[in-house]
Amino acid sequence: MRLLADKLAGKVIQNVNSTYAGGGVAEILSRMVPLLNQLGVDARWSAIKGNEEFFQVTKKIHNALHGRGEPLSPQEIALFKETGQKNIEEINPSGDILFIHDPQPIALVEKKKEIGKKWVWRCHVDVSQPIEPVWGFLEPWVDQYDAAVFSAPAFSRPLPIRQFLISPSIDPLSDKNKDLPRETIDAVLSKYGVRNDKPMIVQVSRFDYLKDPVGVIKAFKLVKRSIDCSLVLAGGTATDDPESNTVLAEVKEKAGSDPDIHILLIPPGSDLEINALQRAATVVLQKSLKEGFGLTVSEALWKAKPVVASAVGGIPLQVKNKFTGLLSHGIEGTAFAIRQILTNPEYAKWLGENGKEHVRHNFLITRHLKEYLLLFISLDHSEDVIYLS
Amino acid sequence: MHWLAENWTDIAFPLVALLACLIVTLWLRRRAYKALFRWAERTEWKGDDILVTATKGPSILWCIIISALLAVEVSALSAVWKTRAGNGLWTLFIISLALSVINLATGLIDYYGDKYKASQRNIVIYNNLVRVVIFIFVVLGLLDVWGAPTGALLILIGVAVLILALSLREALPNLFAGLQLNARGRIKIGDYIKLETGEEGYVKEMDWANTHIEALGGGIISIPNRKIVQTIVINYGRQLKKAREPFHFFGRAHLKELTGLKAGNLVELVNILKTAPDSVIYYHTHNFIEEHHYLTPEPANDFSVWVSDALGDDILGERLAALDTFEFTSLAALRDRLVSIIEEDLSQETPHLTGRRAAPEGREFRFIKSISIIVPTHYVAHDLLEFVEILRILSLSSLYFHIFESRLRLGKGQNDFSAWLDSSLDEKELAQEVARLDPYNYTLEGLRSSLIQLIEKRIK
Repeated sequence: MRLLADKLAGKVIQNVNSTYAGGGVAEILSRMVPLLNQLGVDARWSAIKGNEEFFQVTKKIHNALHGRGEPLSPQEIALFKETGQKNIEEINPSGDILFIHDPQPIALVEKKKEIGKKWVWRCHVDVSQPIEPVWGFLEPWVDQYDAAVFSAPAFSRPLPIRQFLISPSIDPLSDKNKDLPRETIDAVLSKYGVRNDKPMIVQVSRFDYLKDPVGVIKAFKLVKRSIDCSLVLAGGTATDDPESNTVLAEVKEKAGSDPDIHILLIPPGSDLEINALQRAATVVLQKSLKEGFGLTVSEALWKAKPVVASAVGGIPLQVKNKFTGLLSHGIEGTAFAIRQILTNPEYAKWLGENGKEHVRHNFLITRHLKEYLLLFISLDHSEDVIYLS
Repeated sequence: MHWLAENWTDIAFPLVALLACLIVTLWLRRRAYKALFRWAERTEWKGDDILVTATKGPSILWCIIISALLAVEVSALSAVWKTRAGNGLWTLFIISLALSVINLATGLIDYYGDKYKASQRNIVIYNNLVRVVIFIFVVLGLLDVWGAPTGALLILIGVAVLILALSLREALPNLFAGLQLNARGRIKIGDYIKLETGEEGYVKEMDWANTHIEALGGGIISIPNRKIVQTIVINYGRQLKKAREPFHFFGRAHLKELTGLKAGNLVELVNILKTAPDSVIYYHTHNFIEEHHYLTPEPANDFSVWVSDALGDDILGERLAALDTFEFTSLAALRDRLVSIIEEDLSQETPHLTGRRAAPEGREFRFIKSISIIVPTHYVAHDLLEFVEILRILSLSSLYFHIFESRLRLGKGQNDFSAWLDSSLDEKELAQEVARLDPYNYTLEGLRSSLIQLIEKRIK
């Protein structure tokens, strides 16, 4: 990586997103920017400014890109453009490579006409099935960039600019992924009243229909007919998602009074607790109906856990069926896969170990960092095989 | 004259005894040395030559001493004078014997030192050591002959040896290990050795305490002889033939570029395949190797996986998976074969169903391009030994580049290693063996091991 970083000597990489704290993008940048600087790359980070109304609009855009919600109103469009212009003047974007993250600061690219330089739009969201008018509103800006970066092949769209695939990553040293002593794991189980006396199936995700928590309970009940085990559904509700409380109520109703089903409401920022629950699991489940990248799968694989997950979004990139985990397509298939794992501990161990190696080679922050370096280098080259002296 | 007339026998007998014995011993010596010379000439061992040379001159003196001892014994000298004369002769004998033993021992040390390429400094040390030990024995012998007490001297020597041993307690094991190394002769100057603990390089010098090796980077590593004796050492032997052109290792990283193209069924797949850039064909036939090199040697390509998993067509999936990528030396030929397999399958379908098998929504085949970035590394090999040592520590991406990418993607037709072995080292047989190795049937680590084995076999 130092060899690659040396090739960027003298260049300034300017990252721009919408916030310094909170959210996945800020989390990635807070780790990535210092690492780039450690490698000798002059990487900087700025955040745009906007009022509450502006961020309500960007939230609406975010949901629309995920295929939920409605098109923007003329007032919302005007507010978005107006804030974009203000930020262009206020931030005064500069640098040799401007790395713009997500839709909120997308309009900054208008500065390109004036200053030139290389502009890259890093799209962290799933835009495979957006609300078309919203995508149509953003597309003229996207087209002005030199390149776009998506997290999964399915997120790409026909565009007149180059598109790169760079998957997200996990940080093995973060609270969510670092090794934990047995006592910490036991303390967390004890805190949430979960007994560790039988095989434990765990799904960690917010209470959202798209994560199919009800389907998880149905699959669990099928498994329990022949194997004595417990289920932990751990997640939170989102304040910006009014549906989540409805989902939670439905999940609780479906669970009934089964003492082997544990529904845990985990407050935001409880990374250590999530880590402990994943490490306590016998099987980790990610039975999503739709998924962005599904990085919780990599988190579980990093802990060498056998994973059963739906073949949606970025999950098939992480779970190579029957090699690094098991992919399923429905409730019965999920139950079948869980049974296979619970009744074959050696197979489960093999899958888990393969999964950990797969993450080590493909989904750690080091790979992510290397690909960013390659991306910055490739912006100056159009050929498919680039020789650097 | 009167005394001589009366006592002529006192002189004549010893003189006769002296001459008679001298004639006999010299005759015996002559016969013995003739036999010894013949024996020495028949054997290839140089030690006997040294033995003969070292004793030939002094043996004349020994004949004279024996004869003189006999003469003294038969003489009419008083007992006191007989003893004195005897002691004098014994003194002469011990000194001459000691000189012969020193000549013999140093001759042997010089011979074996030269044979095993011991350093001159080592040879001098061993010679001096032998001289000191023999000198001590000579002194003890002479004291005994002259009836002087030796107890005090023996105690003194014992104490001196003890003090010496204590003060050299760290150095002595290295000294003896050095002797052992020289005696065994398994490691010689110029050999390339590698210790179990990782140190490796060409042996430049072996002194009484350390063996000095020159590492690949040019630095000198001094290893205590004791460590070399106690650890496992691989000796690759003499310096190998240097290549006309050194091999420069390159590193390789890759980036995935999305084309925005997708196929939902076989007809769409084959149509895009026909026109997609070579980089797309390369990515989808090699991606699995790069991402799963730690896991399985299965050379599955993305097309076969998609056809089996997303279209549920295991038969076509198997045909595509069975494609032997190693057969092809160009991406164009590989593309043609992929297209022909799919088109053949499509032609066998009922016409109205052709291409209808469709992937579920969201599981379309997405075409991706591989962008390779090639950077030079600081690893350079000038001979087979350097090559194999670099191969042990080379990154897998670099190994991948020289074996897979250069052969097929860069259109060289053969891997870089084979090309170098053949053209720069004239190692034609080894080059062919490396070229015959089908890399698609190995994990990258397995491939590395196989290459190392082939080269090590050649070096030994």
